[in-house]
Amino acid sequence: MKKDKNNIQLIVKALALAVILLLLWWLLFAEKDNHLSLDTDDAINPTPEQIQSIRDIGQWEFLSVSNEELVDTLRRGLIKDDQLVRIYYGTLRLGFDMKDVKLEVQGDSITMILPKVRLLDPDFIDEARTKAFYESGRWSAADREALYNKARRQMLSHALTPQNLETAKDNADIQLRRMMRAMGYNNIFIRWNE
Amino acid sequence: MHKTRLLTLSAASLLLLTGCACSEEEERQQEAATTYQSIDTVPMLIMQVQKCARLYTTEYKVHKIVTHDDVVRLQGSLLKQNVDIKLPVGDRKVAIPIDATLKAYIDFSEFSERNIERTADGKITILLPDPKVEMTSSKVNQQQIRSFVGLIRGGFTDAEMTRYEQQGREAIIQSIPRMGIVEMARESAARTLAPMLRQMGYREEDITVAFRHEFKPYDIRKFLEVRSE
Repeated sequence: MKKDKNNIQLIVKALALAVILLLLWWLLFAEKDNHLSLDTDDAINPTPEQIQSIRDIGQWEFLSVSNEELVDTLRRGLIKDDQLVRIYYGTLRLGFDMKDVKLEVQGDSITMILPKVRLLDPDFIDEARTKAFYESGRWSAADREALYNKARRQMLSHALTPQNLETAKDNADIQLRRMMRAMGYNNIFIRWNE
Repeated sequence: MHKTRLLTLSAASLLLLTGCACSEEEERQQEAATTYQSIDTVPMLIMQVQKCARLYTTEYKVHKIVTHDDVVRLQGSLLKQNVDIKLPVGDRKVAIPIDATLKAYIDFSEFSERNIERTADGKITILLPDPKVEMTSSKVNQQQIRSFVGLIRGGFTDAEMTRYEQQGREAIIQSIPRMGIVEMARESAARTLAPMLRQMGYREEDITVAFRHEFKPYDIRKFLEVRSE
């Protein structure tokens, strides 16, 4: 009697399993339109842009140096090393302020007294354009800030060279002479106030 | 018998969990004990030097908080019914403050006699090309980034964060036409050039700075659309 009851239970279980398998087969293969996927939205939310300040500037740029720096940091560990590698982009603009330019005019002659060529803006990295290259381990805001400063130092040392400053100066000379000639001056003298 | 098996299984699970916790704790302690040593391993550089003649006239400082809600959804079709269910696996949220500098400039590289008009009564008109706008720098305020991550979700990766920052940057660039920076740059150019022209001997009232709009194919399309309406 007990054996018969066990057999019936076994048959019921087998049938239930068969029904479930059949249902799964039908859902997965027989019904072609069925498809399910896990999705996440990668887009940012629309938020406003706030203008914090507006100001007049008069900055002449005669040389731009665009930089792409691969910067990394490594943290040694006993089990494994952690690494963060990012690609930073920045453009160093070399020139001078218009307000520091002095002009002396006499008939069709003009003398331009120009200031020293310098880096126009100390903030030249476009950090929001940064690309993540490799990351292992957890990194803090301070680590990323340190990486940014490292990229800045590297860009400065590579771009702010005496050769580039000289190129900017030469180009300023050429461009301003051409402009003054267009303004109608025949004799153009350029002096650098360095 | 069943009870004994259940007890054995529970004990094994507990041991396994304790083991995991211990190894994690050990790893954390080892990490804390490890001295942080930053080493450069990938020095690399791509540099492009370009000669130019640009007069930057206006500077805008713009602030934007980029936000992102990360929700996992089960989407698709089941028995000819569309399915879109928010899964209770935990949400993630992040807010990234970005400060950007936008500068408008006049390109003087093509400046020639054709840009100057003089009249017999001593008046001068300088015809300049329309100002252009460039994002000269942007800074992500790393210290002020706030993120909230559900219990069973992983934190935001560097790749995800930079992707949101890039989208924020694009949104700032897209908003430039609404900021009126070009109009401001035109006025600012006149204010910047006037002192130079005064030093050249021109009177304030004799100086005119005008702008020439360079028509591009999409401008012509705009006109055609207006005409067809």
